[in-house]
Amino acid sequence: MFDLFHEILQTLQHNKLRTTLTGFAVAWGIFMLIVLLGMGNGVTNSFREEVTKPGSQKISIWGGRTSKPYHGYREGRDIPLKSGDISQIETEHNDFVSDANSTIYGSNPTISAGTRSITASYIGVYPSEFNSSGGNKTMSKGRFINDRDMSTQAKVIVIPERDEQRLFPDDDGLGKYVNISGLSFKVIGVYTARWSRNIYIPFTTAKMLAGNNDRLGSVSVLLKNVSTEEDGNKAEKELRKTLAARHDFNPDDESAVWIWNQFSQGMKGLAGMNILNTSIWILGLLTLLSGVVGISNIMFVSVKERTHEIGIRRAIGAKPHSILIQVIAESVAITTLFGYIGIVLGTAVTQILDMAFGDTDFINNPTVSLSVAIQVTIVLIIAGAFAGLFPALNAIKVKPVEALRDE
Amino acid sequence: MKDVNKTYPGAVPLHVLKGINLEIAKGELVSIMGASGSGKSTLLNILGILDNYDTGEYRLDGTLIKNLSENKAAEYRNKMIGFVFQSFNLINYKNAIENVSLPLFYQGVGRRKRNLLAMEQLEKLGLADRAHHLPGELSGGQKQRVAIARALITNPSIILADEPTGALDSKTSHEVMELFKELNRQDGITTIIVTHDPGVGNQTDRLIRISDGVIL
Repeated sequence: MFDLFHEILQTLQHNKLRTTLTGFAVAWGIFMLIVLLGMGNGVTNSFREEVTKPGSQKISIWGGRTSKPYHGYREGRDIPLKSGDISQIETEHNDFVSDANSTIYGSNPTISAGTRSITASYIGVYPSEFNSSGGNKTMSKGRFINDRDMSTQAKVIVIPERDEQRLFPDDDGLGKYVNISGLSFKVIGVYTARWSRNIYIPFTTAKMLAGNNDRLGSVSVLLKNVSTEEDGNKAEKELRKTLAARHDFNPDDESAVWIWNQFSQGMKGLAGMNILNTSIWILGLLTLLSGVVGISNIMFVSVKERTHEIGIRRAIGAKPHSILIQVIAESVAITTLFGYIGIVLGTAVTQILDMAFGDTDFINNPTVSLSVAIQVTIVLIIAGAFAGLFPALNAIKVKPVEALRDE
Repeated sequence: MKDVNKTYPGAVPLHVLKGINLEIAKGELVSIMGASGSGKSTLLNILGILDNYDTGEYRLDGTLIKNLSENKAAEYRNKMIGFVFQSFNLINYKNAIENVSLPLFYQGVGRRKRNLLAMEQLEKLGLADRAHHLPGELSGGQKQRVAIARALITNPSIILADEPTGALDSKTSHEVMELFKELNRQDGITTIIVTHDPGVGNQTDRLIRISDGVIL
């Protein structure tokens, strides 16, 4: 093995410039492949994080209007969602539903504390809203709405840090009161979040403020034990069936309630990401192909140039397969050597990109893993062997009599 | 060699060897002479197992050499024949010791042992101090001695030399011929020299003349 390496090294040193120029094409192909894969990974990672974080395994339901007659009812009947739907969904489907809740959007546009006020409205939510709505919320002070607040229709409020500073510029807002349409709400918590600017009050309180109307705008169902798009679709079907039984509409009537299956859509998107990854591989391999053709070319030239030498080797006892192996090994050596230069440079670039953009919303950890490096190495070896194969088959056609021919 | 015939096919088939009968005993130093086109080179190719023949029989050291596969031919060449060429045919990016040890490489001999044997051979031919020089750094005579060392390293049955002095001046030619004679005398190495130079031919024990595909 060492001898083979030694042989290869000697022949490669023989023609440094040509080898380098050709090898550059391979290095470039691999470099592009690694960088593209890195970027693809970055986008995929960010997307995957988005669809798998708590709160994304969600199905949202709105009340709609029937489009098919059913049980003696005519089509065109309004189907409003009710609070009872939520508890029904939770108990009937506790195998895949981790939580069902709803929100009520307040209509009052101002919230004030003393002389200061902000223009913002509240949302009435269930306690599970904190974890399910995403946005990386963390409580910086106090607590979120709990079940007790719900059952007592407590007048409590949770505000984002930004609004705390605006309402209580010199002071700690926790425990203070704010005023919404003449009612006092106690600030029980302050949170920080990347995007969310919502002001929260208990769902039951908001319902009371809205005049105890039992109609719900929408219901969010958080799923559990689901991992595939099919799981999500099945859950959606079950939910529709349950609601159909409760509200007496045809379970196949898609407009009676509107369902947005965020989970299944996310899964579909992830599948799309795999297509992205595949197309990057195809692109990279095509780029690499031009490099491989280059390698194949210089191997042809090299075999041609060394016809006499190969003749000598054959005359002094080299068997055809020794020649074959040598040419292929040379080709694999050039390809992997320059391929590795490409891998190293490409990895370096992805690391730099990671430092520059690694934290943005669209790209997350745009680097390649060890397994990709191994896959690329295997590709390089195969590509090198392929590039060397035809020149090698040419080389073994050289007859030992060539040794006797004068140069 | 019994009644060996060789015809090159073509539009006009060329019958180059017309029944060659030739016996060379172990330990002989012979030369084969002939004008160009006499079939001399073809005979050399067949003797060196570089080419096949059509009919007849060629036995080397008792082994019938006929219609061999490429692999078998390579193996026999490696073990039984030592080639010395007119233009030396050293590999120009390998130093003397690597060139000499190359036949052993193809026998699968380990690197350490190979280099040891090659060094021994170079010492024997007085080239120990040139062992790590590339062919380009050697004189013609030295190159031909390196080539002879390469031919000897596998202890072949015969040495086949094709115009070994053709590229050398008269003084070096003389030295190389002396070396062949000495190797033949001292170690009893069977040597066949193909030449068109009568000066070389006359220094051998036996002179075989070939003309128009037959031995005279």
